[in-house]
Amino acid sequence: MVKLNLPENSKVKRGNYFRDKTGSNNIRKVNVYRWNPSTKENPRIDTYEVDMNNCPSKVLDILNKIKNEIDPTLAYRRSCAHGVCGSCAMNIGGKNGLACTTPHSEIDGDIDIYPLPHLKVKRDLIGDLDGLYKQYQSIEPWLKSNSKTETTEIYQSKEDRAKLDGAYECIMCACCSTSCPSYWWNGDKYLGPAVLLQAYRWIVDSRDDERKARLKKVADELKLYRCHTILNCTSACPKGLNPAKAIAEIKKMLATANF
Amino acid sequence: MENKEPLSPHIQIYKWHISSLVSISHRITGIINIIAITLICLWICIISLSENNYDAMNLFLRSFLGKFIILGFTWSFSFQILSELRHLIMDLGYGFQIKTSRITGLIVIFGSIILTVVLYLLGKSYI
Repeated sequence: MVKLNLPENSKVKRGNYFRDKTGSNNIRKVNVYRWNPSTKENPRIDTYEVDMNNCPSKVLDILNKIKNEIDPTLAYRRSCAHGVCGSCAMNIGGKNGLACTTPHSEIDGDIDIYPLPHLKVKRDLIGDLDGLYKQYQSIEPWLKSNSKTETTEIYQSKEDRAKLDGAYECIMCACCSTSCPSYWWNGDKYLGPAVLLQAYRWIVDSRDDERKARLKKVADELKLYRCHTILNCTSACPKGLNPAKAIAEIKKMLATANF
Repeated sequence: MENKEPLSPHIQIYKWHISSLVSISHRITGIINIIAITLICLWICIISLSENNYDAMNLFLRSFLGKFIILGFTWSFSFQILSELRHLIMDLGYGFQIKTSRITGLIVIFGSIILTVVLYLLGKSYI
């Protein structure tokens, strides 16, 4: 169901203001979404004045600086800090991306940081991605081979291998799925760009023997065809992949297939 | 335990860009077009009933409001046609690069305005 407004308990209030204590001449205001599960209060926006003279170049560096030097109660996920693990996916300046690969110099004015859109918030910038992982599981993202010999490798031509380029690099950070309005309104049924890109990755894998079954499984009004080529996914992907194109390719395969 | 986890903000904070704007406009113009077609059918029914009706409708359509509605519908049709062509190209698997989609989106937006003007001038038989 399309619900444009946030529920009553999710309306965002103004929060605390943390004034700069370093006396720096290069200050940026950073607005961060906060919610503490141990209180009954609504989420709030805390504003931090951050000294940019002593801050490395990425948005994650700002968050680390806030947590280390200003407010240790801030919670967010991060791990590799090199755009490989996908933990620090969040909404930065109105667009989804990885905090560790987004330079803060690219954002004009105050920096707004929110959790990934339309997720149940666990705390502060941490969204609940359980639904997405369950959907990922539902497409059975592993090789299904009928070959009886399990001891020899399955050869793949260079051309067939090249088909996986642009699909296997996905780090499942969920930037694309949570940027998609269709996924916001129908996230319980529509698989979303991240999972469909992975579905595509297994459909085009020449070593997989379940291509038809995989296609049939995904051919569903809600699972697949809720994609209306809004392209928020492609513009959000921090790895430069193109989930929208992969979804279009699945639709094309289904349109030309005869089961 | 009651479910008290808040929902993170979505459409309130997400930045618009060309392709999302064209996509939502495509839906809105689609709804406008359904209303437009219904009204056009009604209009034909009304004017075919009597000469008085015909004169009254003519008077209305020549008023500022009437012209505004006609031009609005013309734009809505123009937008829908161009956007639908864009969708057809995308269904063939082309135009998914961010840059291309921005260009085609801009073509749809400005093209619809140009097409509206052309249709208006055609209707006025200036062309």
